[in-house]
Amino acid sequence: MNDPARRITLDEWDTRYEQLRAGGLREPSYGGPLRRHVADGDLRLLGLRMDNSAAALRLWNFLLSEEDRLHRAKAEGKRLVGAMKDLGTVPVMACSLPDVVAFCPDGAWWIPCIMETSSRVLAQADAMGIDESFCPVRAMLGAFVTEEHFPLPGLLTCSVGAVCDDVRAIAQRIERLGFPVVWWEIPHRRPPEAGDAAVRLPGGFWAAASQVAFVKGELQRVREALEHYSGQPLSDGRLAAGISRANAVRRQLSRLRDLVFTAPACPMPALEMLIAEMLAIHFCSDQGETIEVLGELLAEVEDRVAERTGVLPPAAVRVFWVNPVADLRVMNLLEDAGGRVCGTEYLFCHALDVIPEDLPPMEALARMALADPMVGSPADRALRICADIRRFGAEAVVISRIPGASHCAVEGTIIAEIVRAELGIPVAEIEVPPITDALEPTLRTRLEALVETLLERQAVQPVPQQAVMARRFVTTESPQ
Amino acid sequence: MIAVGIDAGSRTIKVVLLDAQTRSVRSAGVLDQGVEQNALAEQLLDRLLAEGGIARRELGAVIATGYGRKLIQAADATITEITCQAWGVRHQLPEVRTIIDIGGQDSKLLRLNDDGTVSDFAMNDRCAAGTGRFLEVVATRLGVRLEDFGELAKNSRRRAIISSMCVVFAETEIVGLLASGTQREDIAAGVQAAVAARLGAMAGGRVPRPAAFTGGVALVPGMRAALEAALETPIVVAVQPQTTAALGAAILAARRLNGQPSSGTIAEDNV
Repeated sequence: MNDPARRITLDEWDTRYEQLRAGGLREPSYGGPLRRHVADGDLRLLGLRMDNSAAALRLWNFLLSEEDRLHRAKAEGKRLVGAMKDLGTVPVMACSLPDVVAFCPDGAWWIPCIMETSSRVLAQADAMGIDESFCPVRAMLGAFVTEEHFPLPGLLTCSVGAVCDDVRAIAQRIERLGFPVVWWEIPHRRPPEAGDAAVRLPGGFWAAASQVAFVKGELQRVREALEHYSGQPLSDGRLAAGISRANAVRRQLSRLRDLVFTAPACPMPALEMLIAEMLAIHFCSDQGETIEVLGELLAEVEDRVAERTGVLPPAAVRVFWVNPVADLRVMNLLEDAGGRVCGTEYLFCHALDVIPEDLPPMEALARMALADPMVGSPADRALRICADIRRFGAEAVVISRIPGASHCAVEGTIIAEIVRAELGIPVAEIEVPPITDALEPTLRTRLEALVETLLERQAVQPVPQQAVMARRFVTTESPQ
Repeated sequence: MIAVGIDAGSRTIKVVLLDAQTRSVRSAGVLDQGVEQNALAEQLLDRLLAEGGIARRELGAVIATGYGRKLIQAADATITEITCQAWGVRHQLPEVRTIIDIGGQDSKLLRLNDDGTVSDFAMNDRCAAGTGRFLEVVATRLGVRLEDFGELAKNSRRRAIISSMCVVFAETEIVGLLASGTQREDIAAGVQAAVAARLGAMAGGRVPRPAAFTGGVALVPGMRAALEAALETPIVVAVQPQTTAALGAAILAARRLNGQPSSGTIAEDNV
């Protein structure tokens, strides 16, 4: 049952699944062979290489069964809350209420990636005037119209202000279709000025107390909407318990990241790590099961680290990855080129920080929401990235862009310049559309060239000291 | 033994045959690219072997680079054009710290460390602006051959302003300029400046000196001057600028033959 850790194709997973079953694999209700998701239209799985552990199987099945889970929840009479443009705030609040299930409709941006063109969601968005000049999150609009993916939620929320203009425009279109939205505003985070009371945020940033108070007021409106929709009070006690459960997920992810990004041999591929990190913001519609899934993944990683086994050659160069990719295959591509991901900033690093539990819950949530890297300056974001690069000992950075999706048109350039200036390490900028087939050769060239550059650098310079330090001193706390 | 470097580029295939001991170039050639990249590379290799009086059995190692490198069956290993370009240029010009490479389909800017290794690189391969293809399209529109494009531009008295960075929109602009009576040579000079400006944006104001210019576009008269103006730095054109990546590949093949460490990806080394 315990094959050596490696990345395998879907064909290999067919055999591996039977092997695991013969070995007594116990699966949750959403378990089963990965192949069945292809029959459901998840064609992209055919081109991926995935981790071969039972824990990874559970992770994939958990991810790919979310729509079924949501439909079942609705059929059981549970209340569905769609939290748009939300990186880990409203889902934490909603999950604090019994029989309320929260999900992120914007997660639909991965539907075209997983299902290629069979999902029709982009074509539907095109037909409604939200074309490819918009962020791929426009897939969400198509999903609302076709109703072929997630069930329609009874309550929709969406953050606006210093977040993404594209998502706001798309959400406005959704509202015009007859889906009322509870809008809540988040201001651009600014450093406290003279005379401002300063508040330290999770992750180390500072904000003016007045900004925190404003966000708290906005979230209070969301709280009231949740209470009205669910017919239940969302007491501070419930919120505190919900925050505690969210923090359990965050602590698991923090431990997972520390282990995977600092282990001498990479114990878990970048692809599975990306999916795992995403659980921090939406729990894949089941917070309790998220904890179980991550627990199993963490145990697998701990075993591999203890056994000093990995899925990639030990000499794989250490790369820090900025922004999520629209085509999951690109994470495979880096590893095929001889790299491994040692550190990530997928635009929601604040959702990996522990929410303060020693503060009133709404104050804690407001501070966490303001720590979102998207609501501050790109320079803030870059400095946090630099801190994490030092922490994990990465030797280079890949900044991935998604066509049509840019919170700030020059954010990638700003981050690249600051990383070069602060750390003097190579930075490669790439653009990854939802389906990269035609671009594969050029993406491969950039990633291979980055790896070659690092190998040559290693040949003339010792391994960066920070890489050694990161391997020796692993902490589970935030860097700042 | 002979070390072979093959650069399967988007517009042309380049092959360099190098004496692995002396590191002297025994032969080098360029052939227009086509669909059958491997067959064309073999054809060029055969031609160079025949011209140089070299037998196949003398070939020691072959490294392929360039856009079509994975298609070259004779290759013992593939290495990206970024690494090969750096090796090729520093073989010729060890003091160079910046390489500007403009090929048919992409453009690149490489910064080198003092030891000649690549420090950082930037590429444009998503848009024809800033590439040889841009010049080709415009040359066709202006009714001149690409090889005469630079000469045409040299006669410009008042360079036209090409505001669009997209080759399709730029072509529309050029139609408009021609219709308004703008001289062809002024348009040609304007296009050269637009290509250079694109590279300038890629450089982001960081062009460590000295800088070298490689790629097929380096052969176009006037492009070096346009780049010097855009980057505000003197630029030297590499010897046989089309073949520097193939030369770098051949040098890496020679290092492999001589048991010296060569750069390359882990994946390739595991093959």
